[in-house]
Amino acid sequence: MLRSLNHLPDEILHSILCYSHPRSCAALEQTSHRFENVTNEPLLWRHYCQLHYKSWDRRHGIIRKLASPVPTVDWKALFVLRYRIDDSATQLLDSILASQTGRIEKFRAVIDYGYDAKDTLLRHGQVETGEDHLARRYYARALLTCLHRSIAVPEWAKLRRGEPVSLERALGAFDLFIPESGYGDLDEIREMLATVVGQFTSFYPDLDSLSPREKALELARWLQLNDFTGIEAGREYHSLEHNFLGLALQSPGHSSLPLISAAIYCYAAQELGLNAHPCGFPFHVHVIITPRPGFDMSGNILADAEQGSPMYLDPFRGARETPVSDLRDQLAFLGVSDQAEFLGDAQASDIVLRCSKNILNSIHSASTRPGEASTSVDMVSAKYAALWSSMLLSGDSRPMDLRHQLPWLMELFATDFPSDIFLVEQYIVPLFHGLFEHEHILESLHVMRAVDEIPKQVRRRTEENKNIRYKVGQVFRHRRYHYRAIITGWDSECGAGEQWMRRMGIDRLQAGRHQSFYHVLVEDRSVRYVAEENIDLILTHLTELPQSLTAIAGKHFKRWDEVTRAFISNVKDEYPDD
Amino acid sequence: MSAPITLTSSDGVEITVERAVAERSILIKNMLEDLGDSGEAIPIPNARLPRVLTTWQVNEAVLKKVIEWCEHHKNDPPTAGDDDDNRRKTTDIDEWDQKFMQVDQEMLFEIILAANYLDIKALLDVGCKTVANMIKGKSPEEIRKTFNIQNDFTPEEEDQIRRENEWAEE
Repeated sequence: MLRSLNHLPDEILHSILCYSHPRSCAALEQTSHRFENVTNEPLLWRHYCQLHYKSWDRRHGIIRKLASPVPTVDWKALFVLRYRIDDSATQLLDSILASQTGRIEKFRAVIDYGYDAKDTLLRHGQVETGEDHLARRYYARALLTCLHRSIAVPEWAKLRRGEPVSLERALGAFDLFIPESGYGDLDEIREMLATVVGQFTSFYPDLDSLSPREKALELARWLQLNDFTGIEAGREYHSLEHNFLGLALQSPGHSSLPLISAAIYCYAAQELGLNAHPCGFPFHVHVIITPRPGFDMSGNILADAEQGSPMYLDPFRGARETPVSDLRDQLAFLGVSDQAEFLGDAQASDIVLRCSKNILNSIHSASTRPGEASTSVDMVSAKYAALWSSMLLSGDSRPMDLRHQLPWLMELFATDFPSDIFLVEQYIVPLFHGLFEHEHILESLHVMRAVDEIPKQVRRRTEENKNIRYKVGQVFRHRRYHYRAIITGWDSECGAGEQWMRRMGIDRLQAGRHQSFYHVLVEDRSVRYVAEENIDLILTHLTELPQSLTAIAGKHFKRWDEVTRAFISNVKDEYPDD
Repeated sequence: MSAPITLTSSDGVEITVERAVAERSILIKNMLEDLGDSGEAIPIPNARLPRVLTTWQVNEAVLKKVIEWCEHHKNDPPTAGDDDDNRRKTTDIDEWDQKFMQVDQEMLFEIILAANYLDIKALLDVGCKTVANMIKGKSPEEIRKTFNIQNDFTPEEEDQIRRENEWAEE
């Protein structure tokens, strides 16, 4: 008798199906009763779920399900659900790429899938080829970071409402704003911290024989020895990446500012049973450790269950106790009369606000050191994180801070993160209740939505605008400012307002305002409006363009064309002839 | 160097191979360890498969094929234990193995059964991947044709099961 598939025992068929795509499995199921049985094995569908989908939205409780007995979960139904979401999210992304109209609602639909959309977005965010791969990558990544922000922002909102949020979550939220961190979840940062603690405790198995003070100092010493605190020699103190807890844990030298070093220290110390918190001391975040009631830091019993005095440490600088008298002297020098506030535990929200300020300082300081190698962190995303946290956590008593930051945030949001409109509506708008900006923000959001819903006005190359020399997608160098940029749109003459033209001195140009003008995307990520006479086309190669420019090119372009040395337009609905 | 091993196929043909080659089979490796080096030929015994009630044997043709594979892979590092999930991440088959598996279906299934019986995980994997590739992209009807599967559904059952699997249609 001839051997056939039908003669293989179930366990071998199971192995074959493990190597097959679930679609093949579904096809095999329909061939006969025998295969119908084999293909409906729950273990197989559990395997497909794990193999094909790494990220699961919280609502599934996937960790609990994975730990349950296999037959108690309908793994096949779960897989089919995820498969359908994957399919639908892909279609939404395709549709976002196909037209500039109605994108906001499509963004929303993808984000509403939560972490179930993440695998789809990661996949599309990594495409290297395909006729629209630049655009696909750009929008998939934009949505992915939006998804991460939708996890981060609620943490700060909780702090705002006075709900408890652990320090590592509150600070980890900053990492979720920057794609470079690679984190997709706050739990991942906590796991990194837990690993550090694990290393320490296995290094010091007899920790419990130490007094609280000795324990605190040993931890500080070990963290410094292993570079988990402080900044590596030779590194710029204000480097942007030193502000991010997750990045610091991940990077080889773990360099971090005092605030982050203190946060790492406090997490570890708390795991070891020490009551450690960052302290509200100005300029340089210290750590305060309070002994258990009835004991002092040396472990001695105090009379009447008295509260012993705390110890202060600066983990950034290492394993030395900072005498409280030093701190008091410094405060006195600063003219602080009520010192209690600065010597006690700091709230997580205060630490987040300080981190936000530090980030803005780092960005400012980077702009004053232009020659230096650029930071590995995207400044726009970092600034955006700083603004969000600061606006959410500035007290209601300080409406001026809010007002001051609003235009910055709105500008970044509108140009770089338009998919965040729901976050802005949900979290920023309510901050302005009762302030005159409230109406103004609502109006801006309304306009954004309206513009999004109306199809773009079609700009054809007709007889009356035959003066327009350059095309969408061409790359040029600015004759006066020498930056490189890509043309994303045009007008047959200057279409900006009179005020702008006067301020920019348009009439002092050789050809004045009556020459073609171009909307351009600049290598520093800014968007500008340039007169034809300032455009000097360059025939470059994609690899010669800065990565910053090719990464955002996807906002308007499908791909690079090596023949014409230009980007292929993805705004054909607006400029059909370019 | 340890002594070569002589294997006997079910149809009584003796084949002598290097010990390292024979030990790609965990079954043989364990037998050798149990027996010690008696220098006797090792018969590949008949076996009864669970559930599928056909007796089967590793005959000369199949055994030769399996040995050919073991010869080629004798220096491979041992597979990383029973980490099924890791093994199953890739469905790639290396070029030599692909050529090796270009045999008729009869031989393909014999090799798979032999690899399963002799406990040669890597060969079993290659066989399973080969079959998975044969199923890939095919409709139910095409799968039936390829593997000569008898459709034993009633039209109602068939209709129902088709509807349940509509999600998988592209």
